[in-house]
Amino acid sequence: MSEMDLAIQEFLVESDENLNAVERDLVDFEGHPEQGDTLASIFRAIHTIKGTCSFLGYSNLENLAHVGETLLSLVRDGEITLTNKISSALLSMVDAVRQMLASIERTGNDGAEDYAELKAVLVALQDGEVSEDMASDEGRTLSEPLAIDAPSNREGGFSGERIRDPEILPVEESPSSLSTLEQNVEFLKVESPAASGDTRGSSVTESSIRVDVGLLDKLMNMVGELVLTRNQIGQGLSRIEDPSLLKASQRLSVITTELQEGIMKTRMQPIGNIWSKFPRVVRDLAISCGKDIRIEMEGKETELDKTLIEAIKDPLTHLVRNSVDHGIEAPAVREERGKSREGVLFLRAFHEGGQVNIEVSDDGGGINVQRVVETAIKKGLVTKEQAEKMVDRELLSLIFQAGFSTADKVTNVSGRGVGMDVVKTNIEKIGGTIDIVTELGKGTTFKVKVPLTLAIIPALIVTTAGERFAIPQVSLLELVRVDREQGSQVIEVIHDAPVFRSRGQLLPLVYLNTVIGLDQSSQKDLPNFSMPPISNIVVLQADTERFGLVVDEVNDTEEIVVKPLGQQLKGVSIYAGATIMGDGKVALILDVAGLAAKAKLGNRETEQAEKEDCTRADNQARQTLLLVQVGSQSRVAIPISHIARLEEMSGKVKETAGGQQVVQYRGAILPILRLNSLLAEGGITATDRTESFQMVVVDEQGRQAGIMVDKIIDIVDVMVSSLVISEQPGILGSAVVQGYVTDILDVNAVWRNTLMPEVAYELPESVGV
Amino acid sequence: MRALVIDDSKAMRIILKQILQSVGGTVEEAGNGKEGLEKLKTMEKPDLVLVDWNMPEMNGLDFVRAVRSNPTYRQLPLMMVTTETESSQMGKALAAGANEYVMKPFTKDVIQEKLKILGIK
Repeated sequence: MSEMDLAIQEFLVESDENLNAVERDLVDFEGHPEQGDTLASIFRAIHTIKGTCSFLGYSNLENLAHVGETLLSLVRDGEITLTNKISSALLSMVDAVRQMLASIERTGNDGAEDYAELKAVLVALQDGEVSEDMASDEGRTLSEPLAIDAPSNREGGFSGERIRDPEILPVEESPSSLSTLEQNVEFLKVESPAASGDTRGSSVTESSIRVDVGLLDKLMNMVGELVLTRNQIGQGLSRIEDPSLLKASQRLSVITTELQEGIMKTRMQPIGNIWSKFPRVVRDLAISCGKDIRIEMEGKETELDKTLIEAIKDPLTHLVRNSVDHGIEAPAVREERGKSREGVLFLRAFHEGGQVNIEVSDDGGGINVQRVVETAIKKGLVTKEQAEKMVDRELLSLIFQAGFSTADKVTNVSGRGVGMDVVKTNIEKIGGTIDIVTELGKGTTFKVKVPLTLAIIPALIVTTAGERFAIPQVSLLELVRVDREQGSQVIEVIHDAPVFRSRGQLLPLVYLNTVIGLDQSSQKDLPNFSMPPISNIVVLQADTERFGLVVDEVNDTEEIVVKPLGQQLKGVSIYAGATIMGDGKVALILDVAGLAAKAKLGNRETEQAEKEDCTRADNQARQTLLLVQVGSQSRVAIPISHIARLEEMSGKVKETAGGQQVVQYRGAILPILRLNSLLAEGGITATDRTESFQMVVVDEQGRQAGIMVDKIIDIVDVMVSSLVISEQPGILGSAVVQGYVTDILDVNAVWRNTLMPEVAYELPESVGV
Repeated sequence: MRALVIDDSKAMRIILKQILQSVGGTVEEAGNGKEGLEKLKTMEKPDLVLVDWNMPEMNGLDFVRAVRSNPTYRQLPLMMVTTETESSQMGKALAAGANEYVMKPFTKDVIQEKLKILGIK
């Protein structure tokens, strides 16, 4: 690359950053016109672009930037005030400059288009009188008005040779100019000492460098390979008993994990990068819809992987547009409803549980569920009977169905043929979820959750017909093991389809071997298939549907490195990718949504069956509990909402730290809780004598602890009304479950009473591979 | 000739550096007036400073003032790089102690002429 190419390259990157800043600052300045330094930085950015252009020979671009710069200098010097119209024109200029930059990047020159019309508008706006005129004309959109603004240009009589004479400015212009001028003087006074005062600053230009994304992708790929190799070595070593080799392998493991995290960090970008475009989007839209909207942001610095940032950009933009267009009401309507005229669009982002949460909220009218239902029925998306059985959350999610739009008229703002269904699909494509919370009259919040990174994900490995498959853990709900005697009770065939009765609900079953065509004759004739001795059912959530996937064996959870499938396999919807296992063999990653679609899961059968199922009680009055045995007799139930995982631990790994028993668990130290002291029976638990014990990992606001139990018995649904409230600390109450009186654990209280606060360890955000 | 180029645009710095190198100079860079002052301290006998007018943190004019207020740099040749937008204010820069100015865009020949005026080889 020659020096000149280097300069052009740098010019493109730099100008792009400058334009983003200009855009942000312009919108910002409209809201806070008292910030004189904002104008100065807008001016500087355009000025820099113009100056550099002159050297590089992009005369069209230079001319346009020059006209814009002149207008800006007048605004900066307080000779004219920045009206809505002027900023619209300046924003159009930013767009035009972007187009030229794109042309330079593509073809090497700034293109033939000279933007004469836009330039004429910018020149015309330099005249104070024109900008006064336009005050009455604020509510228009960006695209057409520019032509209307400059009628003289159309007639050919206007060529920009107007004479600027301050004396011919209208009188009423003067006071505002004067006040701006005063502000400007104020600003100059303030700026000088600040600028010359502090000279310690270190070189900003040298503390960061730009890196080619391709290189980062390559590094990420290689780290992925390294992780695989590390896993292979780990697996190989488990057969060799060599302490020194084992130590080296452990060190390798730690370093690999750190390296992986490091590389992943380099690919992280703050979500503010895409949010920075939104003030402009909201401003333009609000003006064209005649609304008054303020945008607020929290958590701009929240970081996520570059690929993900790009993937959520369009869905988020759509949500923002949607809120402006459909969510927030017109100022008059808001006033009528007793709200301030100005609507607020609130963007929030934060990390939680290894995921990134992004929320788009408005304080608008909220979503009218009744109207959603009516529309959905009218459009044939659901039947009236189906709708009657749905809860509000399910009803709301109807807006994500293809072919749905509640807006009575299609506007050019959000009705662009890209519906909420595309938003949902795009978010799900990257392993994310979207949820709606809405209150009529108060507003709506869209909650989007996406993983931190796509490259390495936790997955459950299963085996069917001798082949291994990986199932992303995000779609995993639970694992159920059914033996033959139980089988006939919980697995039924309804309308030719096998279903699984899980705590009063019926789940359709999908046999993995049938779906992928590895059928080994066992389930060929479904209506009268023979029950295998043991069925392993993986309960999965695809979209709104739940289903059970029957596999031969459930192996283990593992962090896997996702590799894209080759072109030939792209069309196969049931696979999301492939990964390489510890032994070097390839395993395919199942696409849960694709799998559900392939198995043609209509929930018609299950619905019908559920209707027949008279034992079904109202869901809301029920609580799901995990039944465990502690000591020889006591049965205790733990509310499942508190449970993170169930584990089988080897008894040897228990250690004592500061008087508290702990185990090493997933790279962290987990305090152990014993329930003996809480329970009336007391005594020694069997676990003290055996080599291994079962542990329930409970989660309380990100902190985890293990509850040592003797046996995990079952998961049951209990009617809350049947509870007898208990006085005993740590016990919520008791109920008769499966014929036994069972205490229900108050996990919060156990945390408070049993655990010293200093040993409630915080788990690291991401657990290493 | 040892020169320091101060401009907030890296693209501009590359261009200016190239022109100065083409007339046989070695070039140091800084991104604004403040960095320029820091950089200047590290340079051994600088022959010329080429400074942009409009920069964040510390602009060209304030840089010129700061340099001239330091006796060590009383004789250091300072050249302002401007555009016609700023040329009307050039008087301020000259009054503050700039020796010469050069208008964007300029060529190698222009720079050579200016260097001759300043007596720099």
